[in-house]
Amino acid sequence: MSEALRSLGKLLRRLAGRRGPALGLAFLALVASAATFAGVLPLDPLAQSIADSLKPPSAESWFGTDELGRDILARVVYGARTSLVTACGAVLIAGLIGIPVGLVAGFYGDWRDSLLMRCVDVLLALPNVLFAMTLIAVLGRSQAAALIAVGVAGIPGFARIARAQVMALRQLDFVTAVRSFGGGPGYLMFRTILPNILSPLVVQAIVLASIAILLEAALAFLGVGVPPPTPSWGEMLRTGKSYLYEAPTYAVLPGLVLTLTILSLDTIGRALTALLDHDEAGMPAEAAGGRR
Amino acid sequence: MMKLSRRQVCMTGLALAGAAPLLAAGAAAAQQLKGGTLRVAVLSELANFDPQQLSTVNFHVIKNLYDSLIEYTPDGKPQPGLASAWTIAPDKSSVKLTLRDGVSFHSGAPFKSDSVLATLQKGADPKRGKNVFSTMSIVKDWSAPDERTVVINFKAPAPERQILDLLQFLIPIDPKGIDTVETIPAGTGPYTLVNRAVGQGLTLKANPKYWREKQPIAQDLVFTVFSEDAAATAALESGAVDIVYNGSSRSAVRLKGAGYQVFAGPGPLVQVFRINSTRGPFRNKSFRQAFNHLMDRASILRVGYAGMGKVVALPWAPASPAFDEGYTKAYAYDLDKAKKLIAASGLSADEMKGWKLLVNGSDEPSIAISQIVQGSLQKVGIPIELDMRQGAEYVTALLGGDFAATFGAVGNVQKFPSRVTTNSIYRTSGNPILKDPHPHPAYVAAIAKVDAAAGGEAEVKAAYDNLNRVLVDEAFGIPTNSYDVGLIVASGKIGGITLDIDNLFVARTIGFK
Repeated sequence: MSEALRSLGKLLRRLAGRRGPALGLAFLALVASAATFAGVLPLDPLAQSIADSLKPPSAESWFGTDELGRDILARVVYGARTSLVTACGAVLIAGLIGIPVGLVAGFYGDWRDSLLMRCVDVLLALPNVLFAMTLIAVLGRSQAAALIAVGVAGIPGFARIARAQVMALRQLDFVTAVRSFGGGPGYLMFRTILPNILSPLVVQAIVLASIAILLEAALAFLGVGVPPPTPSWGEMLRTGKSYLYEAPTYAVLPGLVLTLTILSLDTIGRALTALLDHDEAGMPAEAAGGRR
Repeated sequence: MMKLSRRQVCMTGLALAGAAPLLAAGAAAAQQLKGGTLRVAVLSELANFDPQQLSTVNFHVIKNLYDSLIEYTPDGKPQPGLASAWTIAPDKSSVKLTLRDGVSFHSGAPFKSDSVLATLQKGADPKRGKNVFSTMSIVKDWSAPDERTVVINFKAPAPERQILDLLQFLIPIDPKGIDTVETIPAGTGPYTLVNRAVGQGLTLKANPKYWREKQPIAQDLVFTVFSEDAAATAALESGAVDIVYNGSSRSAVRLKGAGYQVFAGPGPLVQVFRINSTRGPFRNKSFRQAFNHLMDRASILRVGYAGMGKVVALPWAPASPAFDEGYTKAYAYDLDKAKKLIAASGLSADEMKGWKLLVNGSDEPSIAISQIVQGSLQKVGIPIELDMRQGAEYVTALLGGDFAATFGAVGNVQKFPSRVTTNSIYRTSGNPILKDPHPHPAYVAAIAKVDAAAGGEAEVKAAYDNLNRVLVDEAFGIPTNSYDVGLIVASGKIGGITLDIDNLFVARTIGFK
């Protein structure tokens, strides 16, 4: 596993060497740092000052103020927390369920594969937003509900990728060798095969993170996301659109941050995919799979 | 034949005299305005064509397909409609109506007393009466001595204003079409239905046999449904429509600044912070009274309604006979007074929190003003969460009383004060929120006193004052502001706007300059 992590680190360093992904990484690092250390910044996302409502950007409030006189920059920064927590939580839920499902289905390839994959197909057939809205209708409107909804919607992606990778690796010599030494199914799946399929799963995690952020914003925009006054980029877009004439920056600036975050994640995901494809094309088959 | 007293003759005469300048003005305006196709943007799909279902989604068609027995001027003076005259008995226990001659329904059937009787019958039916049903509670029975006369008898002597409100609320329906009126309009109105595309709009055309002279002015009336306020205003600005009806206050303010005409009618709604006094800390009267001072009414009006309206502490529009400006000052936003009342409640910090404020997630003003209240509560040490619910889910909770507190507008606040009981939170019996027996008997008694005040001005004023005192004392509804419903924003080429007492859309006098 440590070797797999080392190779991931190496991959990240290679990413940082390219201009597009490097910019994306830098922007994500900025957003993540702001979200993490928001508490120590002199920003209050909930402080109302009705007399100062819908003010344009100024030295006092860089992004201007919203309809309740709250600082939009503070709400964008704290909104990043909402988005990142949703993204990380969703990836965690989707990964923790989807990867074992894909491993089991791909490793055995019998009735278990058919059963699990049909369940995954059912999940896949449901439109993400509709599924998330149904789940929120059942669980109630909260950040946890949005996070679970997005996470469950991400399960099929992980399951299918894990399954495909396992099916490609399970007959290779290094897996046969471990099996001949007495390695059980659990050991083979989680200790032998999983470390060798981490790279595509990391790419999938990045893709899902961007989908999760977008889906959380979409749910908030539709009015079923995190309840106010908790800051959320989608909620800001939803409310800000009503004030496009009076305060255009209210919707535009949170929208710009959301767009740049998605763009960064997408750029990194694409670059990672390209690097991995390039590596696999350039390596002998045995070397590509025989990492242990 | 009934002999008329001098007072009765005077009242009839005044009604006719009052109508004369209005008709003259209307005729003068009609001469200057040109007809054509009037295109109107509306923000909601019509529910049905039943004129007794006076819901805001039906406001744009009712007065164009139907006529009332009497009308009110914007300042509340009665005017003849399909009833050309009316006479209230000296003991105020009955009213005699003389029906207008030469009027016919869209079906071609002549307008006679049988249609008024059928309309009264429908209104008195709890299943079919819809919004008219509660107003009919004062009516004992009715009769039609001839085709042009109807007499309505009351259970007890009724205040004059209450009788007039009833007549204004009664919209005669063609007896032949009364059972299908939800889907097929059956009125005498200035326009007839041409077609309706559900979700898109409807087209009306001028009624060639309409009884009002030189009306309607526009030959065709086209309503288009827009799901977004911004799209409707963009259509107005691009010239795709001539009028936006019932758009947001915020858009109206912006368009007024851009040179468009904005008309606000005399029948606003009043936003009320509704408290379920049967739950948790709200059983405590002192705790409830604190909310009289926790409402930052000026901010609520500014943020929620772009400042269009008036801050109020009572559930009356300024045009209401019970409106009292003094209460707005006495119960102004004051956190110190609120803290004292909270302390006087004797409730612990734990007892005061733990409830959620129900919010209509589909209504942006409600979301904003609920956050203002949440902020005020935070300042006095009561942290609460918002319970956001959408559309039907919210309405079910609101009308079923499944909430601790919520904002909800009340209507009928510019007419006879006891009409406020048509709103769920103010019902005196069968209240879906407060249930039976009513937990505030002082309020029920105050409403009964208003209903019984059929005597002199002093008696009526005393009854209104008593009701106002009881409302702020019991504090199960905390009014914050009036705001305009049915706002009309029109392009500069439009003229002849008529303001309706209930802010319904009246197209018959509108034409092009």
